[in-house]
Amino acid sequence: MNLQNQLDPISRRAFCERWANAALGVTVLHGLGIRSSDAAGTAPANPPSGPGFGKAKNVIFLQMIGGMSHIDTLDPKTGPTQGPKAPIGTKAGFQLGGTMENLAARADKISIIRSMSSKTGVHASGQYLIRTGYEQRGTIQHPNIGAWAQHFKGPSHKTLPSSVCVNRQPQSGNGFFPSSFAPLPILDPDAGLQYSHSDATPEQLIKRLVLLDQLDAGFRQRFQTSEVKSYTQFYDKTVSIMSSTDLEAFRLTEEPDALKEKYGRNKFGQGCLLARRLIEKGIRYVEVAKGGWDMHNNIDDGLEEHGAELDVALSALLDDLSERGLLESTLVVLCSEFGRSPRLNGNGGRDHHPKVFSTLLAGGGVKGGFVYGASDKEGMSVADKQATPQDFLSTVGWSLGLPVDEVVMSSSNRPFTVGDKGKVVLDVFA
Amino acid sequence: MKTRFILPLAWVLLSPTLPAETSTAATSTPVAAAPDGNTLYRTWTDTQGRKLEATFRGIENGQIFLQIRSGYVYRLPLEKLSPADQAAAKTLKPEGLGIPADPHLAQAAAQIDVLVNAGLAKAGQKPNPLASDEQFVRRVFLDLAGRIPTREEALEFLNDPSESKRAKVIDRLLSSPGFNSHLFNYFSDMLRMSDEAQKARFYTYQDWFKSQLADNVSWDKIVYRMMTADGKLLDNGATGYLLRDAGMRLDNLSLTLSTFLGANVACAQCHDHPFADWTQHQFYEMAAFFGATETFGARGSPKRANARAMRQVIASLEDRRLQQSAKNLLRVNALAVEDGPENDLKLPHDYKYTDAKPGDPVKPKLVTWSDDKAKKAYQGVQTKSEEDLRSQFAKWMTSPDNPRFAMTIANRMWKRIFGLGVKEPVTDLDDPSSSVNPPLLYHLSHEMVRLKFDLKQFMRLICNTQAYQREATSHEMSDGAPYLFPGPILRRMTAEQAWDSCATLVVGQDVDKYHEHRGATYASAMNIDFGTDAKPEELVAKIEKAVATMRSFGGKNGVAKNAARRKRRMRLMETEGEDLATSPPVRDGLVLARASELPQPERDQHFLRMFGQSDRQIADSNSEEGSIPQVLMLMNGEAQRVIGSDGSLAVRTAAEQGTAAQKVESLYLSFLSRKPRAEELKNAVAGLESGLTLRDLTWVLFNTREFIFVE
Repeated sequence: MNLQNQLDPISRRAFCERWANAALGVTVLHGLGIRSSDAAGTAPANPPSGPGFGKAKNVIFLQMIGGMSHIDTLDPKTGPTQGPKAPIGTKAGFQLGGTMENLAARADKISIIRSMSSKTGVHASGQYLIRTGYEQRGTIQHPNIGAWAQHFKGPSHKTLPSSVCVNRQPQSGNGFFPSSFAPLPILDPDAGLQYSHSDATPEQLIKRLVLLDQLDAGFRQRFQTSEVKSYTQFYDKTVSIMSSTDLEAFRLTEEPDALKEKYGRNKFGQGCLLARRLIEKGIRYVEVAKGGWDMHNNIDDGLEEHGAELDVALSALLDDLSERGLLESTLVVLCSEFGRSPRLNGNGGRDHHPKVFSTLLAGGGVKGGFVYGASDKEGMSVADKQATPQDFLSTVGWSLGLPVDEVVMSSSNRPFTVGDKGKVVLDVFA
Repeated sequence: MKTRFILPLAWVLLSPTLPAETSTAATSTPVAAAPDGNTLYRTWTDTQGRKLEATFRGIENGQIFLQIRSGYVYRLPLEKLSPADQAAAKTLKPEGLGIPADPHLAQAAAQIDVLVNAGLAKAGQKPNPLASDEQFVRRVFLDLAGRIPTREEALEFLNDPSESKRAKVIDRLLSSPGFNSHLFNYFSDMLRMSDEAQKARFYTYQDWFKSQLADNVSWDKIVYRMMTADGKLLDNGATGYLLRDAGMRLDNLSLTLSTFLGANVACAQCHDHPFADWTQHQFYEMAAFFGATETFGARGSPKRANARAMRQVIASLEDRRLQQSAKNLLRVNALAVEDGPENDLKLPHDYKYTDAKPGDPVKPKLVTWSDDKAKKAYQGVQTKSEEDLRSQFAKWMTSPDNPRFAMTIANRMWKRIFGLGVKEPVTDLDDPSSSVNPPLLYHLSHEMVRLKFDLKQFMRLICNTQAYQREATSHEMSDGAPYLFPGPILRRMTAEQAWDSCATLVVGQDVDKYHEHRGATYASAMNIDFGTDAKPEELVAKIEKAVATMRSFGGKNGVAKNAARRKRRMRLMETEGEDLATSPPVRDGLVLARASELPQPERDQHFLRMFGQSDRQIADSNSEEGSIPQVLMLMNGEAQRVIGSDGSLAVRTAAEQGTAAQKVESLYLSFLSRKPRAEELKNAVAGLESGLTLRDLTWVLFNTREFIFVE
């Protein structure tokens, strides 16, 4: 829908006076929290440097909800703790879980950390920790990496938000940063952006907007506070999103059917496709969530469905990014709140296991065909080079070029850093 | 603070040598303005020749109201004044806020204005002009009743010629059900009153809290009751405060100290506070008051009563799902508070300071602040006996002499209606002298004590100040400059105010009728006596009944998990007959009840959440910020559709009006509690003539900044 073409000349003039700036992206973006040095385009005094720093311009953050079994996916074992399917060999020299057939053929594109360890075996707090690097508290909310990136680097697009989350709620991903840093939620990838369609005809909507501008002008004039101005900017941005081609970023209908098939016709597959589409359109940080991993019973059934969906979608995503030349500048990571117990329980399932689990990184300057750290023979504990959720997130921040050592004070005057002073796993970078 | 002693001294016989009064208001000294900012002092003489220096507040029912310098307002029959003064009164314009409800209240409010004005004067600032009736009525409804006035309520106020209407509407709203609803929302956010916690429903806690507000129980009593509550959550909702954080004693204490006492201790839980005086050791000494308190598996709960027998019953259940439900039931019944014989608090294993060793037991000890001269709260606190440690703490904490308890709640209540605390953040009052106006902060604290922690009376007091009844501040504060309260700041509505206002537009004032009480149903279904002699068959029957009841509460957040099922249920509700007291109206999937009667928190995509309602996981985390999804929701979501539908009260009322101009005016009164200005009327009428409908006009007014901000 192109609103401006639907207008009679008088309305169009009125419309343009009000919204042209926004539509052309001239509007000053919500400036709260953006460092002035970035706004002025100057680099910080002493930029950190080292392998992989700042190689990624974008991040696709795949979070498996429920606790992804490390043994059946990224860290396969033989012997008593082996899962329903035997491990598969790869040309990279390491093995993957039996359900990761497609990913195995792309092992040369990925790095795996097999020595992740966390202290919490509770879903909600584990998910919070692996997403923010901080323990959940009753007094403050911590930002995800997308919000940190917006803080340090400013917005990534003129009209679209800098962060999006797919198949999940934003859950205050902005943390203590302004709510404009919160990821925009897309709950159903096929449906796209919620409430993006007006129930008025384009002509009617324009008339409404023009009248809105007239009737609200007095108030805006009298109250020139930052809160009122920021609302006006949100309206401007929203109208410009609704009336511009930017909204297409959220429309999977624009993608060819064959490609949709490749990603898998399920919410996660389509979510990964949407993530690629959004990255391509200039959105910096996209989270895609996938549930179904809390496999306490009959893990073979669960893996058949969810393992396969992950395998297909992730493989398609890596191919697609690589074919479009986006993989070098896009970091893809896969994580979960914890792993699952090596021994099967009485119900043929595995229980929560935070002691050791695995994460995956690809693209964005990360080595291909590489494994960092190791679990022991049974997949019970860390055997080599333990890495924490803080280390993992610091590594993601590092790849995006964020100053992971820089302390930022929240409005309550408490100090925080990207990844809570975790150690960057430099070994995974080429 | 004493208010009465001024009375006998007020009428003074002025020396006859003073120049005779003139009709042009003789002021005794050139500058001194009245306590609340009135300026026109005049000497009044009664028929007996007694004189009084006062400002003129108005005449009603043959009574004249005169305010003296202390702020006290005299009421006397007009005919008692000298004929000259009677004549003068008829020509004078009343000053200030009109006629107050009560002379002492007027004086107390004036005292606050004196302090506010002194703070402003010191910084060379002036207070804002008084707010217009239109601004005032919308603001006071939103601040006291939590919603905008209906068109009729606004008109009733605006058309009331009485000089005392402001004071009257304040009193009316304070005793309206909306006042409790609005206050509940505030505390629900502050205390994280989520429906679900610890895998149980905290409905009894919410119901208990609502009943305290409905009975206007004083704040010190409410808090004391929460801190000292015993027993099962299902039996005693007051235990909800401690059980909300069952098993997390330290987190709970950290919140208790910062929420109720403004003690900035969050850091000291893990290490000495880097800036404030708090040490980790002090934090643990305070925690030791809860060291004997068990929040899981207390007496009367299945853990104590007969755990083994219960486990056997559960194991005997063949249905796996029933077994799981039975386990959950056990867990809910185990949620209870009880004091044990022993304080078992020890320092953490990573304690790194030299004054004690990791793992050392900790003795309870109260903190002191450097400025607390009132030591009374500390007297008689027994820390030797391990019994009643908790109540010793609660007594100290809620004592009128506690140096921070009254101040914290006073500062919080001030912030609710002024938009900012005298000290920010409200969770850090460690140093009151660093507030923007320390004398004001101390005074508000004293007033809270004088009013015996009656929150209703406190709100009544601050709403009657001129400071509150001034225009909202319109200019941007320069960075870092302290805000000294020349008036309230312009605030965006809270999520709950906005939602309740939406519902008001559709339903009108009947929106206040519906009250949700889930606690009793939940408790009676879930509460099982796990006595030793219960027979397995009886227990199974009870478990089955409880499971069935649980289902009626639906999935997470009290709504069916499955969206389709929820919609079906909603549709069913829409077709059922509507008795507003027993079931709220449902439109387009939206339950049009006050936010306080809806799930805490609402589901993620609900208007309330998208407009900033907190998830009830983080204390004081309601947000007043905008976002693109929020604006999309305002422009295209269900709420705007429901408000603009033919059945909506605002639309219906407008449609009944004759001319286009009258229709526009009707909508303006419904949405903004004022009539349109000439230019606005012209534009809106032109819009209607060019093909826009009333529905379009509701959309426009709903999407104005003016609608979502509180002037």
